[in-house]
Amino acid sequence: MDNKNGSVKSIFRDLRERTKELDCLYKIEALLNEKHTSSLSGLFKRVIKVIPGGFLYPDDCCGRIIYKGEVISLKDNPKTPWCLEAPISIYGKILGKIEVFYRKRHDEMGSNPFLKQEKQLLKTIGERLAHAIFQFEYQKALTEAEALNGDAKSVIRKEWVIIVDLLKNTDQKLYSRIARKLANYLVWSGHKKAGELIQSFSRNEILLIQDADMNQPLQKRTLTGMVEIAATVFSLADDILTDDEILICVKKWIQEEKAADIVQVLGKYDSTMSEIVEAVTRYHFISSNDGFKLSDHTDMGLRVSMIRHFFFEQLDFINIAKNFIDIEDFFGLVQKIIYPMGSHGKLGGKSAGLFLAYNILVKSDQAEKLYSTLKMPKTWYVSSDGLPTFIHYNNLEDVTEQKYKEIDQVRMEYPQIIQLFKNSYFPPDILRGLSLALDDIGEKPIIVRSSSLLEDRLGTSFSGKYKSLFLANQGSRQERLEALTDAIAEVYASTFGPDPIEYRAERGLLDFYEEMGILIQEVVGHKAGPYFLPTYAGVAFSNNEFRWSPRIHRNDGLIRMVPGLGTRAVDRTSSDYPVLIAPGKPALKVNITPDDTARYAPQKLDVINMKTNQFETIDIQDFIKEYGRELPGINTVMSTYERNMLRPITAMTDFQKEDLVVSFDGLRERTNFITLLYSILNTLKEKIGTPVDIEFASDGKHFYLLQCRPQSYSSGTKGSVIPKNIPTDKVIFSANKYVTNGLIPPISHIVYVDPEGYNSLTTIDDMKAVGRAVAKLNKVLPKRQFILIGPGRWGSRGDIKLGVSVTYSDFNNTAALIEVALKKGKYVPELSFGTHFFQDLVEANIRYLPLYPDDEGVDFNWSFLKNSKNILKDIVPEYEYLSHTLRIIDVPASTQGQFLRILTNADQDQAVGFLGTGVESGDHIDEETDILDSPLEDHWRWRMSMALKIARQSAEKTKGIEAVYIFGSTKNRTAVPSSDINLLIHFRGDPIQRRELELWLDGWSLCLAEINYLRTGIKKPEGLLDVHIISDQDIAKGNSYAMKIDAVTDPAEKLSLN
Amino acid sequence: MAGDKSFNAFEMAQTQFDKVADYLDLDSATRELLRECFREYHFSVPVKMDDGSVKVFRGFRCQHNDALGPCKGGIRFHPQETIDTVRALSMWMTWKTAVVNIPLGGGKGGIICDPHNLSDNEQERLCRGWVRQLAKNVGPLNDVPAPDVMSSAQHMLWMLDEFETIHGAKYPGFITGKPVGMGGSLGRKEATGYGLIYTVREALKELGIRPEDTVASLQGFGNVAQFAIRLYTQMGGKVICVSCWDQEDQCSYAFRKSSGINMDELMKITNRFGGIDKEKAAEIGYEVLPGDAWIEQEVDILMPCALENQINADNVNRIKDCVKMIAEGANGPTTPEADKVIEEKGIFVVPDFLANAGGVTCSYFEQVQCNMNYYWEKDEVLSRLDTKMTAAFIAVSELAKKHKIYMRDAAYVIAINRVAQACKDRGWV
Repeated sequence: MDNKNGSVKSIFRDLRERTKELDCLYKIEALLNEKHTSSLSGLFKRVIKVIPGGFLYPDDCCGRIIYKGEVISLKDNPKTPWCLEAPISIYGKILGKIEVFYRKRHDEMGSNPFLKQEKQLLKTIGERLAHAIFQFEYQKALTEAEALNGDAKSVIRKEWVIIVDLLKNTDQKLYSRIARKLANYLVWSGHKKAGELIQSFSRNEILLIQDADMNQPLQKRTLTGMVEIAATVFSLADDILTDDEILICVKKWIQEEKAADIVQVLGKYDSTMSEIVEAVTRYHFISSNDGFKLSDHTDMGLRVSMIRHFFFEQLDFINIAKNFIDIEDFFGLVQKIIYPMGSHGKLGGKSAGLFLAYNILVKSDQAEKLYSTLKMPKTWYVSSDGLPTFIHYNNLEDVTEQKYKEIDQVRMEYPQIIQLFKNSYFPPDILRGLSLALDDIGEKPIIVRSSSLLEDRLGTSFSGKYKSLFLANQGSRQERLEALTDAIAEVYASTFGPDPIEYRAERGLLDFYEEMGILIQEVVGHKAGPYFLPTYAGVAFSNNEFRWSPRIHRNDGLIRMVPGLGTRAVDRTSSDYPVLIAPGKPALKVNITPDDTARYAPQKLDVINMKTNQFETIDIQDFIKEYGRELPGINTVMSTYERNMLRPITAMTDFQKEDLVVSFDGLRERTNFITLLYSILNTLKEKIGTPVDIEFASDGKHFYLLQCRPQSYSSGTKGSVIPKNIPTDKVIFSANKYVTNGLIPPISHIVYVDPEGYNSLTTIDDMKAVGRAVAKLNKVLPKRQFILIGPGRWGSRGDIKLGVSVTYSDFNNTAALIEVALKKGKYVPELSFGTHFFQDLVEANIRYLPLYPDDEGVDFNWSFLKNSKNILKDIVPEYEYLSHTLRIIDVPASTQGQFLRILTNADQDQAVGFLGTGVESGDHIDEETDILDSPLEDHWRWRMSMALKIARQSAEKTKGIEAVYIFGSTKNRTAVPSSDINLLIHFRGDPIQRRELELWLDGWSLCLAEINYLRTGIKKPEGLLDVHIISDQDIAKGNSYAMKIDAVTDPAEKLSLN
Repeated sequence: MAGDKSFNAFEMAQTQFDKVADYLDLDSATRELLRECFREYHFSVPVKMDDGSVKVFRGFRCQHNDALGPCKGGIRFHPQETIDTVRALSMWMTWKTAVVNIPLGGGKGGIICDPHNLSDNEQERLCRGWVRQLAKNVGPLNDVPAPDVMSSAQHMLWMLDEFETIHGAKYPGFITGKPVGMGGSLGRKEATGYGLIYTVREALKELGIRPEDTVASLQGFGNVAQFAIRLYTQMGGKVICVSCWDQEDQCSYAFRKSSGINMDELMKITNRFGGIDKEKAAEIGYEVLPGDAWIEQEVDILMPCALENQINADNVNRIKDCVKMIAEGANGPTTPEADKVIEEKGIFVVPDFLANAGGVTCSYFEQVQCNMNYYWEKDEVLSRLDTKMTAAFIAVSELAKKHKIYMRDAAYVIAINRVAQACKDRGWV
């Protein structure tokens, strides 16, 4: 710890020095920018006065400038051995130098008393001085010319001639290069004589080269020769071109030459981050001082190479980004990059997406009108090679061996790796940068997010594999810095977690994994009581894949938002709901009655507790009662709720007594938020050329963009390719309207309620019994592997005749809910679109599909649904009497092992359900692009191997385990990212053993869920294992799960325990 | 569809009526009158949509009978409404108002639409359009609408405003279900739960049991159950078990404390929808049992206050022998099969029809207060509710005793008899 304290102290000292250096630089900049500088020596003296302030021992420090042989200093200080100098050169020609020296020796600094940074400082001052000298001389020449113009007798000197003369005197190389360009220009304009001049340039150059080859000093005549030819070119041009034309050309070429070294650094493939940052900074100064402008092609070339350096190599990204990101934009960016010495790192995908999106928006034609409230939170970036540098600095190279270990071992060692990383040190360069970042952000909470390089390729999804850590960022400077480094260490450690390794190994990306960018972002929001939170936050999608009304189109988009931190909107939770809005049709609400609005309103709030420095989930009601008034914009979030009526919050609203619910009605009705967000989605979609998903937050006043990526990255929203050649007899149904994208796993069981059969039921009790039977089937059929197909509106509230009466819990294990609209005379009934339990479906990712069998061009295989074997009586014998209405089809049993595959493609507005094997070739647009799209093989194989492992280990560990069975999607080889692993354990042990077993399994379950999350981005906070422990008695009685053993349909499979 | 044997709600309501008519030996004219709706309005409501197009919606209003007073009944927004459903519901409203002996008839109406497809502005134009078509045929003196499926207080206020604009005066009694301060009545939240306990109290009197000697178990912990428990415990009764839905687990749990539940401590850990936090409940000493455990408790009174069909053939036999009474706070909580078993067991039943009539009675009070433009304090509303419910219970139970019929049948008989008598008195039949 002492060691750590020491290092922190040294950081503070370093920081103090950097501040002094910057301060000095700013002062000098101010001097150089002063108008009406009458003499150079006066300027030099003022500069010398300022310089000592930037050095470690200012009282003992003095400086002098030597320019064209003249020495300028404040006092007659003799030069000492402790001296530092930097040249003053214009276009390579050294005109003088600047010196700084200490009057006495400073032993504590050793033989060289100057810091590395001080050397850099002096070099920069020299460069700035040279620039100022050039400006001064140029102005002087101009003034002289003007004075001469005033004299009628003198020859009028043209402006371009003055410039060219100045060049001739200061920089002959540049002079001849400009002449050469002018000659080229003349040739292009059709002047033959210029061609001859070019040839003489070339001859002279050859001579130069030959001279150089001979390894002898340059012959003077050569350069003079060049100068002479140049003079001929200028005089020729004077005859042919107008003065203005020549002036424009000469000025442009001079500017291009000025940028030459910047171009060189940026164009070089292996320039380091610090070289690039320096070049960009220099560019910023040059361009802001002189109204400087690069030619369009050079400008574009530089943009492209910078995008390449900081972000991506991929052409598709560059092609878009280069049109929206200016070189000047990078100046803002480079100030906030933290990188190790000699870094060649990049910033990662998350940073790139955000930076691009923000620049697209602020440069769009809507920017002024609509986006005046748009902001990007203060963001700092740690370059991707921060991680390898960290590993190297702490001698942690061994950790890279993790990737060769067995996944179990990786899992077991992972917690130790986190601790190891947290107890390691950061290299001083990085620490300094982090410290600056903390200064810039101040004592506001921050979020540390990973920004993976694997997102680089457009089309690679790494969703869910990010780690984001919130920090309250409170306390002393040292505490804050420690908390930040701890968090970064944890994010770094996460690359060595079990699954990223497995994921990368599968894709041959193991060599990449050590690199990962980090984003340090200020959390948007306000303090309210002890908490810190944004007024609201959420995610928004260009394409709406969950539509609750046929009037809502796919491109109307979808917003999922909550009050407080957006974490609750990003993740799906079973017990809470975000508010859903289609920004293109904001008036069409998901919930119609105030009671439903209240029921499906968010009930919890994610916040940062500034007292405990913790991320917390709290109850909205408690928060509002206590601190609601302190939150800006609360009246746009909440409404009062009384007797089935929602009303806006007013100044009279009593937060303590009244019932308030989250409705966002205020935001919808009284602000331009929805228009803004819709426009953002549309602009980004148009410019990036693909639907996007964004994360946002608001402090009640401004709209902050937090993230932007193509929507296809988010899980499961990509359309499937609908195969054209499915044999007609294999098609069970098809649809050509109201289709939304979403992955549906292979289906082993169809629960089909026959429309005619249902219509012919004569008593209300029979109709209700259909609903009860469905509820029972929901409990016994394999989870997410069966679908419900039924007439009209499932869960119809008004009239049981119109659809089977069920509530959400009666079918919450289905994979999809399908409603069939059959024509009645000329009238096609309206379907429900699942609105009765819409938000439940969304949160559970249960897909909804409406079918219209009477429409042209669609199929509905009545014969298969009506004639396949009905296994209703085998599963729920008590409902056998409903057999003519309710049919359960075991698809593999009825079709020799095939499954019902349902593919949807919203772009084409088409869906098809057909019989096929586990995986069809047409399943996915691009198998490589998304782990969700990776062959289904992956998911069941991984689950099966885990199941086998668990079975074996549990049998070794616990006495009394008779057998372990697997059933459901893993057994059927149809598991998808969200599938559970269903296990049946036949157990004969005592209650204590059972309790131990359950605890042990719970641990596994949570752990597998975490691995699955990292693999796929699908969160299953309840765990991944679905374990049913059954006794002899259960088996004897054939209780529900015991029934699975030797079941008629989909029997459980015994796992080997050896 | 001729010869269609499929289920039809109106036919079911008619069959139910026919049985009672037989029992009462009603004459054929009375039967004919009461088997059908007195008046029906079918009309179109053109609505300008937000995009400038016009959509035409179908509207209905059925006035089944107004012999006892102005019709009363909800307005439903439903995309596939059928006229037979509306007819059946309006007939049930006639019986429902009659059983508590309030001077109202039965009506029901609706619009075929799915509000999910309509913006708020479009819904407002639809509501106003509905009233414009019916303004002459509804009103505080002839037919009083109320919220129903997918319609809310806001819809009622739009309709009221249109009605008052057309008639050029204030008629807050035109519609019920309004917020307090806009013509709504205090005591509405308490009405159904309190009404239930008023009938329980009277029933206990009948059975000669003191409330303070009784123990009860309830299904549901929503509005009805919460106020029922409060009043019941005030009377001295002890609730040892309640069950409620757990949104997270998608199933229900029963919470038991044999020393009696404490409403104040439970309310602190209950969300707005009546969901009790099971972890916290366990912490404060409640046993957390499977949801259906509420029915098998050793108690005197069971009160199902959640959904329909909760006491059914599967679980009716788990009711303990010590149970003396079932008071139905929910609508249709008992299936016909279970009802037979309960009748055989001799358990006293306060049927839903009567037991949860506190709600409709309070709507009636809302209308009364509106018509006189003077609003009562909550205490007054609740004490008048007590009077009404008590009288209604005594009438039904006396009839049941006198005629030796089951309470559920007695409630129907008394309601239909009252309406038939009024038709006769008016000289209609």
